[in-house]
Amino acid sequence: MSTVLLSKAEKSYITAGLKQTTPQRADGRKLTDFRTIALETGVAPLANGSARLYLGRNLNDNGGGTEILAATKLEVETISADGSTEGCEGGRIIVNVSCSPAGYPHLAQTALEDFQHDLTTILHTTLTHPTLRPKNLGILANKKSWLLHLDLLILSDAGNTLDALFLAARAALWDTKVPRTRSVEYKAPKTSVKDETGFAGANVTVQGGDMDIDEAAPSGFDTRSQVKLATDFELPDYWDEGEDLDGRDGWPVGVTLNLEPPVHFLDATPHEEAAVPLRFLLVFSFPQTAAASNKPYLQGMRTLGGGEVSLSQIKDLIEVGQKYAEELYTALNVKLKEEDVRRTQVARERFEAARR
Amino acid sequence: MISFASFPTVSDYSGYNKPHHPHGESDDAYMDLDADYDQTDGSRLTCPGEMLTSSQDYMRGHGTYVVDEDVIASVAGTIERVNKLVTVRATSGRYNPEVGDLVVGRITEVQPRRWKVDANGRQDAILMLSSVNLPGGVQRRKLESDELQMRNFFEEGDLLVAEVQAFFITDGSMSLHTRSLRYGKLRNGQLVTVPPILVRRLKSHFIALPCGVDLILGLNGYIWVSKHVKAAEQEGEEGFDAEGVYSNVNDDIDETTRTAISRVTNIVRILASHFVPLTDTVLTEAYDWTVDQQGGVKDLLTEDFGDALVASLVSRS
Repeated sequence: MSTVLLSKAEKSYITAGLKQTTPQRADGRKLTDFRTIALETGVAPLANGSARLYLGRNLNDNGGGTEILAATKLEVETISADGSTEGCEGGRIIVNVSCSPAGYPHLAQTALEDFQHDLTTILHTTLTHPTLRPKNLGILANKKSWLLHLDLLILSDAGNTLDALFLAARAALWDTKVPRTRSVEYKAPKTSVKDETGFAGANVTVQGGDMDIDEAAPSGFDTRSQVKLATDFELPDYWDEGEDLDGRDGWPVGVTLNLEPPVHFLDATPHEEAAVPLRFLLVFSFPQTAAASNKPYLQGMRTLGGGEVSLSQIKDLIEVGQKYAEELYTALNVKLKEEDVRRTQVARERFEAARR
Repeated sequence: MISFASFPTVSDYSGYNKPHHPHGESDDAYMDLDADYDQTDGSRLTCPGEMLTSSQDYMRGHGTYVVDEDVIASVAGTIERVNKLVTVRATSGRYNPEVGDLVVGRITEVQPRRWKVDANGRQDAILMLSSVNLPGGVQRRKLESDELQMRNFFEEGDLLVAEVQAFFITDGSMSLHTRSLRYGKLRNGQLVTVPPILVRRLKSHFIALPCGVDLILGLNGYIWVSKHVKAAEQEGEEGFDAEGVYSNVNDDIDETTRTAISRVTNIVRILASHFVPLTDTVLTEAYDWTVDQQGGVKDLLTEDFGDALVASLVSRS
């Protein structure tokens, strides 16, 4: 789905340039060149993890380019046995993409809603797949779990939105910290009071006999006493924000191959996107297995546009796409680690300043 | 190879924290418009919140508001004054059309006997079927059959160059015309957009650069960069035919021309990002400079290269 109008002459100018013996693009890039990507994590103080990503933005005047803001927020959810609540064992993830109307001045409200629904579907189905689910989203077995909201906001669109969305999502999830929890257990009143100081790690049971529990004879309608271990949890006050979200190395990156047979190219501008008949999105995750770490795993695949592609072509495209994804993954990891170092540095300086 | 960049660090912005009020040393915060106006040939920059003058002596215009009898700027831009009316013309924003301006626009909608054109204004411009040259000669009258085949002339997405003819009294939107052989549908090139304020009014907005590239500087900030067409090959009065003028097919463009077009486009982008107004001499000098540096077209996209280009242009002028 293209978001810009393009005349026939412009389309043929772009495609003719790609079909030359030495293919040329409108801004002089090579076919596989990306524009400059700028990334920053930890931009939203109230979120559990956040990232801001500019793709192809001129940092000099802050003009042009795709701008994405991504943030995660954790929410406690009740799991009920009868399925009356949506919570499920082990936590769940909800991904939502919204587009700022200022980023798409030419689109009507309904068209914009369709567009963001399309993007939401692609990201949600890919990122919430069971193979990618983090292991530390549970709080209490069969009682409580974390619901992770991942919200992505497109502030401006200068092409290649899907790749940028996946990069921003990966950065925000990488940045996400899950708060530590301790389980609390209510004991029957007549047992001896035992003080518990277990603080070793997450999910330590505390047996607090001094909890306020009804002393009167239980009513026949009161079913609470039948649940022997009515448990709750509490958040220990600790110096850091929590532990990293599990499997943060594995979150996928997306690569969109823009197909103008016989060539394909990466990181298209909106005009190029409108000119090519078919775009091919490949999403690769990088599961951490004991055998081979960071081996790309094809997590999702989608064709966008009205063109056709044959099965044999797809095989080749997946192969080259995997190569691009690995490059992107390596570069992004380097940047994310740099960001961690930078933020530690900033935090240390702030601490020093406060102590003085 | 893909690499990630960082955002400018906070220390880059630390200038904002330092007290450097422009009017700190003198008491001209209450600006004497008359005196300033004469000295600085009518262009003085202001920013939002700055007090311009007293509302007792002057009337507030666009881009200003009144608080406690002071006229205060609401946008960043240049102060303009007509008699007792003070306005601020914003440096960024939509195009403010004037009659006679040359604009480049894109058709957004085909309506009965008219086209809606996006010309970067606050409203879509309108191109009436009666304001275009129809195939078969300039003098030909509009027929009913023409109304039924309007998409043969312009369809949605088509780019055109036109002139602002008049404004509609009802809603103030602009009406365009293409009744000249230089105006009409655009092909053989690509569009680049800059802030409208960077395109000055020139003697001619059709620029032919020595590198074989033609430019059309639309006053609305849309700039068409295309392959050079020799004046003799432009359609004459007799040769005015629908195939030539309303054609959607590009000529053959060789690789060198294509490279030159890309290079000029990137130069325009750099100049716009450094807020350099575009003229034919600036563009020619910039093109020569980039060729001298022997950089590829892609190198123009790097920040250092752009800074160096603008620095060399400033030192030359």
